This record gives sequence, structure tokens and C-alpha cells, in this order.
Amino acid sequence: MSQTENLLKRLPNDIGGLPAEPIQRVDHELEPWEKRCHALADVLDFHKILNTEEKRRGVEALGSEMIGKLTYYERWIAAFANILFQKGILTPTELARKMDEVAARWGDEPPHPPA
Amino acid sequence: MSQHEHDHPHAEIGQSERPGYYDMMETAVRELLIEKGLFEAGEIRRQIEVLDSRTPALGAKVVARAWVDADFRARLLANGRTACEELGISFYDDTQLIVLENTAEVHNLIVCTLCSCYPRPVLGLPPDWYKLKPYRARAVSEPRAVLAEFGTHIPDDVEVRVSDSTALVRYLVLPRRPDGTAGYSEEQLAGLVTRDAMIGVIPVTAGEAGVSR
Repeated sequence: MSQTENLLKRLPNDIGGLPAEPIQRVDHELEPWEKRCHALADVLDFHKILNTEEKRRGVEALGSEMIGKLTYYERWIAAFANILFQKGILTPTELARKMDEVAARWGDEPPHPPA
Repeated sequence: MSQHEHDHPHAEIGQSERPGYYDMMETAVRELLIEKGLFEAGEIRRQIEVLDSRTPALGAKVVARAWVDADFRARLLANGRTACEELGISFYDDTQLIVLENTAEVHNLIVCTLCSCYPRPVLGLPPDWYKLKPYRARAVSEPRAVLAEFGTHIPDDVEVRVSDSTALVRYLVLPRRPDGTAGYSEEQLAGLVTRDAMIGVIPVTAGEAGVSR
């Protein structure tokens, strides 16, 4: 099988049965924002805005580079934002402005400087 | 609070350090959705309380009850969700629960190869290793080798069954009751049951205490 055929047959989440490293029994206490992110996902699900399968597909749609480099809840929040854009619930501009506003509460330079 | 003694109100509870990029993204998404009236801030706080209330102690209670009450065990194996609800464990999501009984002939192991599906209402959130590639990739193809890495050696004449969770169907392993526990109370039995035993990576042993793993 060619390299590209394999890319079609296995999307980034589809790793069952692949060779991998020994198990490291790692764990961590969730950061407050990670817990809020989890609660956000549940509340979005309760309100039928975003379900578990959409969330999983949203993470997969980030592509293998982001899946490999972002942490678990970083992938989630990035996927939620994309899905909310696709559904027309939020716009990228709105989110960028709100993130600047959040950053300003800590006296930070905005992460999205005006162009 | 160190350098952040400023006078505007913080929306968040007790956050004292500059948040990271994704932390700010979460805050921004949540606040925008609340401003748009899609849900209320209190719903997030309540769900955090629900998440905090779910620990492996709930699953341990279910397992201990199944060990001492054969009728309950039968109901649990027939419908995991309704049997857990009998014990007051509510399911805050749409998931079904299938309880897999370990016996002298069969050892069960649960995994989610695609992501991180897990019986959260009864066990809380999964450990990181459950969500990482090595466990997800290998549990389905070489479960005995994976189990050996947890120190669990399943005899060749015992079948190993691996169940792959989905968004809507979650699994919980009902471990075997350890020998030497005939005189134990239900509460003492629950104290032996660990998170990892209910994932299926280790057995329950009479010498252990605590429900953390």
C-alpha cells in the first residue's frame, strides 16, 4: 500500500491496532480551564448544540499535526471553535475580539493585534 | 494573587495567574455563547460540580453490590445504566452502559481506540494513559502484552475480550471477587475495587485498599 493510500484509509483518530510504544501510566489533575472546557462540552451537548461524535470529528478535522502537538483539551477547544464557526453560531472575528478582551483583563497585549 | 491586585472583577473563580492561549479561548467561547443566550453561566458551574462528584468510588459501589446481591448482578448485566440508576447514580449524558463480567474463563478489557469514550457517570474522567496512543493502539491488537505492562498475566486458557467504546455505548468491567473476602461487608468490598480493575487492566486483590486507581 502506498503512503497516500494509507492516509485515506486511516484518519488521524483511527489508531486501533497500530504499533505503538509501551504504556506509560501517566495522569494529571485537570487544570481549572480544562475542567471548564469539559463542562462546556457537556453543556453544549445538553443543549443539542454539539454532540460527542461531532466533537470527535472536529478534533480529527484539526489534522494530524495539530492532533500531535496540542494537548487533549487544547484540541477540544480548538475543535469547538471551528464547529461553532461552521454552524454559524460564532464568527472568527467575534472570537478574536473576545479573546483580546479576555487578555486585556490580565493587562496583556492582545493575542490578535489589529491588522 | 501576586501582581494581579487590580480592581476590575474577575469572571473566573480564583484564577490568579495569567491564563494561556487556550485557557483564554475557552473563556472567550463560553462568554460569547452565554452573551448570545445559548446557556447560562450557572449551567457550567453545576456541570463542574457534577464532574467533581463522579469518582471511581461510584463504580466500586456498583461492583460490591453485584458481588453480594445476585439479583442486582443479573439486572446490572442486563442493563448497566438502569441498574446504576437504582443505586442513585444518574447518567448526565445519552450513553448506554454495558457491564462485562470477568469469570474464570473470560477476562475483559475496555478501550476507546478512536478517542476517549469512557463510563464517566460511574468512574469520573479517564486517566491520561487511557487517552494516549499506546493504550488505544495496542489494547485491541495485543491485549495480553498491554495487560502484562500493568503487571497482569492472564493464563493462556482464559479468553481476553476487548470492548471498544463508542460515543453512545460505554463499558464497565465487573471484576472477579477476590478469594478470602467471604466475611467482608459490602462497604469493605467496595474499598478493594479500583478504577483500573473496572477498566480491566488489573484484578481486584484482597490485600489492597483505596479506590484511587
